[in-house]
Amino acid sequence: MSGGIKRRDFLRVVGASGAGATMFGCSTDNVEKLIPYVVPPEEITPGVATWYASVCGECSAGCGTWVRTREGRAVKIEGNPAHPISGGALCARGHSALQGLYNPDRLAGPMLRNGDGFEAVSWEDAEAQLAERLGAGGGNVLLVTGNAGGALGHLFDRFVEVAGGTRVEYEALSEAPLREAARLAFGRDVVPSYDFEAARFVVSFGADFLETWLSPTAYGRGFARTSAIDPMGSKGRFVFVAPRLSLTGQNADEWFPIQAGSEAAVALAMAAVIAGDGADAGPYGELLGSFDVAAAANASAISAEDIGDLARRFVAEGPGLALGPGVSGQHRGATGANLAVLVLNYVAGNVDRSVHVGQPDQAAASHPYASLESAIASMQARDVSVALVHGTNPAYSLPPAAGFADAFAAVPFKVSFASALDETAHLADLVLPDTHSLESWGDSHPRPGIHAVQQPVMRPVPLFDARSAGDVLLAAADALGQNLGAQDFQGYVRARWQEMGLAGSANFEDFWRDALRHGVVRSEVTADEAPLELLPPDPGVGFGTPALDGDQDGLALIVYPSSRFGDGRQANRSWMQELPDPVSKITWHSWVELHPATAERLGLREGDVVRVSSPHGQLELPVWPYAGVREDIAAIAMGAGHTSYGRFADGNGVNPMALLPAETEQPSGALVQLATRVTVEPTGEWRKLASIHGSGHTQEDRNIAPAIALADIGHAEEEHGQHELAELQEVGGFVPVSTGGEPADFPLPGARHGEYGDPENTPRWAMAIDLDKCTGCSACVTACQAENNVPTVGEEQLLMGRDIHWMRIENYFETVDASHAGPVDVRFTPMLCQHCGNAPCESVCPVFAAYHTPEGLNAQVYNRCVGTRYCANNCPYKVRVFNWFEYSDVPEPLNWQYNPDVTVRGEGIMEKCTFCVQRIREVQNRSVIEGQAIADGEIVPACQQSCPAEAIVFGNIRDPDSRVAQVTANERSYRVLDELINTQPAVTYQRKVTFHEPAAAGH
Amino acid sequence: MATATEAPRGALAHPDVGSYQQVNDDVLKILGRPGRGWWILFGLASLGLVVFAGSWANQIINGIGLSGLNAPVGWGAYITTFVFWVGIAHSGTLISAILFLFRAPWRQSVYRLAEAMTVFAVMTAGLFPLIHLGRVWHAYWLIPYPNSRFLWPNFKSPLVWDVFAVTTYFTVSAVFFYLGSIPDLAAARDHARGLRKKFYSVVSMGWRGTDSEWHHFGKAYIFLAALATPLVLSVHSVVSWDFAMGIVPGWHATIFAPYFVAGAIFSGVAMVITLAVPMRKFFGLEVYLTNKHFDALAKLCLLTSMIVLYAYLTEFFMAWYSGEPAERGLFWNRVSGDYWWATWTMLTCNGLVPILLWFKRVRRSISALFVISIFVNIGMWFERFVIIVTSLAHEYEPFAWGMYRPSVTEMGIVLGSFGWFCFWFLLFTRLLPPVAIAELKEVLPAPLRSRSRKEAVR
Repeated sequence: MSGGIKRRDFLRVVGASGAGATMFGCSTDNVEKLIPYVVPPEEITPGVATWYASVCGECSAGCGTWVRTREGRAVKIEGNPAHPISGGALCARGHSALQGLYNPDRLAGPMLRNGDGFEAVSWEDAEAQLAERLGAGGGNVLLVTGNAGGALGHLFDRFVEVAGGTRVEYEALSEAPLREAARLAFGRDVVPSYDFEAARFVVSFGADFLETWLSPTAYGRGFARTSAIDPMGSKGRFVFVAPRLSLTGQNADEWFPIQAGSEAAVALAMAAVIAGDGADAGPYGELLGSFDVAAAANASAISAEDIGDLARRFVAEGPGLALGPGVSGQHRGATGANLAVLVLNYVAGNVDRSVHVGQPDQAAASHPYASLESAIASMQARDVSVALVHGTNPAYSLPPAAGFADAFAAVPFKVSFASALDETAHLADLVLPDTHSLESWGDSHPRPGIHAVQQPVMRPVPLFDARSAGDVLLAAADALGQNLGAQDFQGYVRARWQEMGLAGSANFEDFWRDALRHGVVRSEVTADEAPLELLPPDPGVGFGTPALDGDQDGLALIVYPSSRFGDGRQANRSWMQELPDPVSKITWHSWVELHPATAERLGLREGDVVRVSSPHGQLELPVWPYAGVREDIAAIAMGAGHTSYGRFADGNGVNPMALLPAETEQPSGALVQLATRVTVEPTGEWRKLASIHGSGHTQEDRNIAPAIALADIGHAEEEHGQHELAELQEVGGFVPVSTGGEPADFPLPGARHGEYGDPENTPRWAMAIDLDKCTGCSACVTACQAENNVPTVGEEQLLMGRDIHWMRIENYFETVDASHAGPVDVRFTPMLCQHCGNAPCESVCPVFAAYHTPEGLNAQVYNRCVGTRYCANNCPYKVRVFNWFEYSDVPEPLNWQYNPDVTVRGEGIMEKCTFCVQRIREVQNRSVIEGQAIADGEIVPACQQSCPAEAIVFGNIRDPDSRVAQVTANERSYRVLDELINTQPAVTYQRKVTFHEPAAAGH
Repeated sequence: MATATEAPRGALAHPDVGSYQQVNDDVLKILGRPGRGWWILFGLASLGLVVFAGSWANQIINGIGLSGLNAPVGWGAYITTFVFWVGIAHSGTLISAILFLFRAPWRQSVYRLAEAMTVFAVMTAGLFPLIHLGRVWHAYWLIPYPNSRFLWPNFKSPLVWDVFAVTTYFTVSAVFFYLGSIPDLAAARDHARGLRKKFYSVVSMGWRGTDSEWHHFGKAYIFLAALATPLVLSVHSVVSWDFAMGIVPGWHATIFAPYFVAGAIFSGVAMVITLAVPMRKFFGLEVYLTNKHFDALAKLCLLTSMIVLYAYLTEFFMAWYSGEPAERGLFWNRVSGDYWWATWTMLTCNGLVPILLWFKRVRRSISALFVISIFVNIGMWFERFVIIVTSLAHEYEPFAWGMYRPSVTEMGIVLGSFGWFCFWFLLFTRLLPPVAIAELKEVLPAPLRSRSRKEAVR
């Protein structure tokens, strides 16, 4: 996505603009008809996709999106390249929004409580009920919302004003301590933003910025750019300081496995060392001057030398960037820990360089648990007559000890805006299903100066009679005799934008159309005149290591946000349930991570079901021994264990919130997540883990994911010659076709299975994947699933080994040692069909279902396949997947998501990655029609499109100027297993670069 | 078709058979009314057949997913059983054709039985490639037939070779079996009455036993024997190439063709023993199937067992000698990994138990042979299971290693296939003379007027 505007982009924008214009006139109503249209809607050409710019609503990051629609149905979401947050990429959860839109468990219409169950009511009745209750409520309305900024948040505030009551914002994944720390440090009530690209030395104190922390897509891109080796041979360093190695931690170069909760001690010790070397510590000079580094070393279980060394390198190898503890590290001193990290950044001179603490441009909206805690108290005290819940699910995401369910039950009339019954809606009296974010209007202001309109990309799915919450609230306010200034929410958003004056002197209509077309508007941000100064320390904030409840001999419990489900809201999607967890590769169910030594001490094997008990509750779940946690840690992911969230979520896994107390951290008011110790005891049961990894995350000397030390870059060739195989070849043994993947080598000698066309005009499609960039985030896996109609198979089938993803991210734990600070080396290898020039699958297919196209693709002709499965047996990469049953037969309307350009496969046939052949053909067809040559980079497979780390490059390797040819011509390039079995893959990997000398096995 | 000059050796083969008439009587009485035992066995076989058909039908309707197969183990019990039955089929042709050409004197008593076993085993084996297909209704796409789109099968694929190998083998062995039976069918015709007589009249094609008929019969038989002989080697070589042509560690080995042929003969001979022992007892064929015959079969078993054991050891040695991590890892995994029990079953049953056959006392003990033959049958099934499943489960890509466990449907089909086989075999014992009457007579001393019968056999 580099360079100027490409034709493909241009076409999309035209599509979006036309759509935007008509959308403004609201003419998509007649979209949902069978083709052929008698009177075709203007923006729809059957067979041609229409793209709309919008905003992803899956987390608070606010990534700008482009949504591909076909015949009026949204079929694929991609990042909007013009949007500074997404930068064209999108995470796995973002892709899964489509399954939220087409979720078969969405409500068919408003529901009214009737005894223990619900009965369907009409919208008229439902809205009348709501108005009546609000009118009789006497100003005691409680509106609990999730993170709703922009116009919707504004409307919520206006609504509680006119209805009389309070609004409480509550997000399970709250960054309140960080925000509070920024206020205490710099007097600004804002979440800082981080510029990874400006840093060369990143230290994360447990912030999972590649998974859920703040803005994973943007930070994933920034991180990959700074941490991957650049053409000059320089590479940024990343040190992870936390008791558990998350996916983010697995991407680190070094790991400091600190005692849980000792982030503040380490950060301040580092700051003290730096200040001791002469750096300015502002008002913290005194505190740091007297800071006891030895005590910090003791508290964190990391030696003072290691901390001192890290601190000095942090400055010397800088610019540095330190990131505060994330949600999983929210302990009783979380504000202090965040503050300590900000102080470290300040002392190291990172503030205003890689850390930006901007002016708050929106009304400060912190959403800690504390405000909900007081709301629970007032509900309990029967001070609330009507409670409305939107966009959050406290009945699930709060610890049961918080007493939300009981307090909520005490409210006479409870309304939920959930579009599918969730745990909170299940307790409500009236459910008014909101439209999905892809069906509704909205806006987002993710960072100062960045604004985006969330426009509906399709008419609401007709199976579900949903209404946008904004419209419902406007109507309710109307019924109360209060006009909030707009007939519908679309008008409200427009009016808000008009009010904000973003258009400047331009005509608002033109500006609005432009905003819809581009999906993002930037406004001027007033820069700080003076550099930010630290405020004096607040004596109320301590930096000690907090105490944990429970048995002091027990294991500290880490409850971390899941990179698949976030706080649990994506759990009702089969894509997310079946996406292998990026760390454990487990699907569908929960597990508890224990260090292998701890597991051995407790007599536990992988899969043993254990009872995890804290003073607050207990759970039963299987063990997954993981060397990436300290020996005194037990870790469980959030987001699973739903009881009422649809067929894909219910009953899968457990909800670890049951083990936590309902306690707020002071002064930020956030829910304490790292609060307790647990005891782990076996139940005597065992279950097979639904994991996709076969070898225990080791390469077994197979050289699947080799690495190269940074110091060896430039000398790789000599080493290559010493390979055992080279010796064998010298004595006349096995002789592979030797190629470094140079363009001139194609077609490769021996690759005669296809009739290669003339070398001038026929391309040879190839891919390069840079393993130094790949973070293992798995966005590509879900992108591929969405693009290529890859179904899910369910837990039972997965347990049998019938995973059907076309792509898998293999993770090999080369060096993971929790006993002391040191290097960490986890290798990620995205494994997909290698489109071998000398493909073992092709020669064994008896019916030519697997064959080689003139463009070098390994095609799979679904219609011709009889299902012998010999191709899969003979594939050394094991990337061919088989339809054991009719997996594509999904509940209505999930099938609406199917890409019309891709075959939906039936039972009994083999399938695999096609290099997104439909995208290749689309561009080729267009190039024929337009009479223009295909530009390099114009064809982008779904995986590459989605990759936040920009690790994947696709193109024609016969063109020496193509990017893929240039990336491939790299000394780090290798092809998996090629020198062993001469498959001549079209996928070239670039080795991961490590600072330490990698072990010989993986070389 | 031994010549009369070999009579003395034949006489030694059947010392207790007195006359041509006794042969006719003893053999043809088997074709009479079946006893209760037969009906019970036939009932069991039919039940197996029902299980077999029902499981398969269920699998066709609901999907191949009813098997326990997965990724990476795309082949399992079905292909194992396919190779098992093809292997069984081999000894029939070996005994009837090769030993015929080599003039082995002990073959006459067992070859009809072995040939029938061959035909039915190929019939059983041929179903399994169909059973394991994802879309069995398109199985005919593997056959090269002219079509408007000029779509041919991929002649590079070993699976297409398999189609040719198995169909050819079935055709030739069925014709050979039928042709050899014609004189005996005529004997049965002469013996039978009523409907049976009509049946035998048709199938014996009007055989009268004239000189010219015997002359042509002899020529045809020897030509077919010569034609069938290379098939014994080629068919199982082709079956072995289903694996050896793949690049899977544990499959991709040059030793596979001879290794599989030896294994096939090994398992086939064992199956002949397994079938011959009860038949001998139930049908009172003790005088025809003597210790001497079983001794010869046991020696063949011993020879092939040694070859197979040698092949196992060679595989392990080559894996170590190659220095290739995938190959080494696989073979180490075979003996110590998830499927160690299958590998050790295979090694014990095929390599260790047959060592007992070195002892003459064991070879001469019918019951010991029967037990050993059962071990070999089990061991040879596991051999194929080990080759197929452990190799696939533990290939190049460690992340994609897996486990496979046969499902209920698979077990139903695999066990049911024995019902299908026994169904045909039991019908065979009642409808066709299970011992070659004409050839037996050839090795008996010609009845001479000058001597009494007792003198003749002395």
